[in-house]
Amino acid sequence: MRQQAVGRVLRSFGAVWIAVVLLYGISGLISPSMFQLSQVVNILQVASFLGVIALGQVIVILTGGIDLSQAGLITLTNIVATSLMLGQPENIPLAVAVCLVLALLVGLLNGVLVVVVGITPLVATLGVNSILFGAALVYTGGAPRGEAAAAFELLGTGKLLGIPAPTLIWIALAALLFVLTRLTVFGRWLYATGANPVAAKLMGVPVERVTVGAYGLSALMAAFGGLLLTAYIGSPSLGIGNQFLLTSVAAVVVGGAALTGGIGGVLATVGGAIFITELNSFTNIVRVSTGTQFVLQGAIIVLSVIAYRRLSGPAR
Amino acid sequence: MERNRHLTRRRFMSRSASALGIGALGGQLILPAMAQEGAMLTPVGDMVQGMAKDGPYRIAFSNGFSGNSWRAMAIAALEAEAAATPEIAEFVTVDGQGDINKQVNDIEGLINQQFDAILVIANSGSAVAPILRDATNEGIVTAPFNLPVDGTDWSTYVGTDPQKKGASLGKWLSDALGGTGKIVALGGLPGNAYTAAGWAGAQEAMAEGIEVLAFRDAYWEEDRAKVIMADMIAAYPEIDGIWCDGAQVGAGAIKALLDAGRPLVPVTGDDYNGMLKLYDEHKESHPGFDIGLMSEPTWQGIFAMRAAVSLLKGEAVPKQQILEPQIITAANYQDYIRPDLPDGVFTDTSLTDDQLRDIFSA
Repeated sequence: MRQQAVGRVLRSFGAVWIAVVLLYGISGLISPSMFQLSQVVNILQVASFLGVIALGQVIVILTGGIDLSQAGLITLTNIVATSLMLGQPENIPLAVAVCLVLALLVGLLNGVLVVVVGITPLVATLGVNSILFGAALVYTGGAPRGEAAAAFELLGTGKLLGIPAPTLIWIALAALLFVLTRLTVFGRWLYATGANPVAAKLMGVPVERVTVGAYGLSALMAAFGGLLLTAYIGSPSLGIGNQFLLTSVAAVVVGGAALTGGIGGVLATVGGAIFITELNSFTNIVRVSTGTQFVLQGAIIVLSVIAYRRLSGPAR
Repeated sequence: MERNRHLTRRRFMSRSASALGIGALGGQLILPAMAQEGAMLTPVGDMVQGMAKDGPYRIAFSNGFSGNSWRAMAIAALEAEAAATPEIAEFVTVDGQGDINKQVNDIEGLINQQFDAILVIANSGSAVAPILRDATNEGIVTAPFNLPVDGTDWSTYVGTDPQKKGASLGKWLSDALGGTGKIVALGGLPGNAYTAAGWAGAQEAMAEGIEVLAFRDAYWEEDRAKVIMADMIAAYPEIDGIWCDGAQVGAGAIKALLDAGRPLVPVTGDDYNGMLKLYDEHKESHPGFDIGLMSEPTWQGIFAMRAAVSLLKGEAVPKQQILEPQIITAANYQDYIRPDLPDGVFTDTSLTDDQLRDIFSA
């Protein structure tokens, strides 16, 4: 009984936050620089890129799908945004608008491939990822051009009251998606679709439209993430999205979501993104070899997921 | 037997320029960076005798992957050279898409199509070795360049010596810090042989007073390097220098220092335009900022192509030609920087401004 109660509380806000605090405490004891305010700010700044991207991923994973096209879209966003901006502030609106329209089209394509054509999400989105990367290659001929405008870079590097701008944007987007998933009909449909699409359909949930909507949101978040990264670094790179192919999924899973759908949440995913970034940062700082760094990251992620499952009650 | 004949790039360029019949215009056509810097090719090993074949020749380039501006410029340099070489009738590039197996299949296809010579940048120096041996056995001239291929069952090789380059950069950094200081080292993809050789060379070349705070893989990506450097800045109150083998990484690290409001420090890297622009912009306000850069020339394939053509004509070429690129520092960076062109340009280039604009506006 008591364990179930604990599990319920943990599930509601995400046991990952315990892991976030624990890891922070341990890493701070080993490397005191983790306790500096500037390092906390730094982690929150870097985590916001993965955080925004994972916000989209969790929406798709809630429906029982997966979006592996985010990486390609992030790269394409970076390439298109810098090439349209060309360092000029007056080009910012056009560049952002084109990227967001592109994202909506990609989300729609993913949704249609999964819902209408009936391709497994993993295969469909991986295929789209490849297409997007190919498109970035064709668009640039392998040699990307342009740069972000200085005013735009403030979104990635600026601060307001000591809080990094990308972190503020991340918080705002997370709040928006929290409301959407917890307090709206669309949110209930999302969870119902992931938990049992057949039952949901029988109950009148427009499963197809919900799924397409989820892929649309995922693509939008990937584009926001790509734009923030572009603002952070200022220049184009064809490899910029690669690292997010699976880390966005990892952040969601560490946040306690089930890849089978129906279980997970926005707040826990925020925690997942912080946890992964914290872990990267910690393993960057401690004096270990690259190999050890990879082993540590993998082991801690697996352990945290196991601990989460144990704490939050019997596996379903 | 090791030979010490040097073929300077200036000599090479003036020769190829006159071969094109544009000798009279050469002074105008050749970029300052091309004509003035005396990068050298050192022949290593015995001479290889070619078997004369009737021309004109069909030459193929198996490119391991094509996802960055360095490769785009390397291909453009080869295409320009092929177009300017009357002995070459056809030049094609096939893209291995970063896949080790696909590249082996690609080369198999090129053998079946009976190309006269195959140039290669290998995704894996061990994986392509057997298929290059097959090609060589069939009488095809095989010329790997940039990244070495295992064994000796290929015709001729052109490239830099990453260990020596890494050592030169390490020595420059060590000297720039007066032999004492704390540095951070940032590499490329985890486990890649190029960074490993360079870093090994650097560690040997640096003075004892240089303390290495950390070596981290930064994937040759600006954003990765910036994130890692931000962590390093938090962890270490004193960072006096940055060693890296690619200047995208150096640029990311410098941007992290700028964001943190820390003074800029000496940094190594290559001829990435973004780094030169950063230096030019911030050198006044950051007196401690210094650059020691060595290009990984995008034009090196031209020498592989020329060696292949020589072999096809029955001439002798060295088994290996090792490039010795010039170091780019505060003293001569003005000859290389291209303020009007994107960050991704590798500025030690054989390409004209128009060709560069073409590539970067594809």
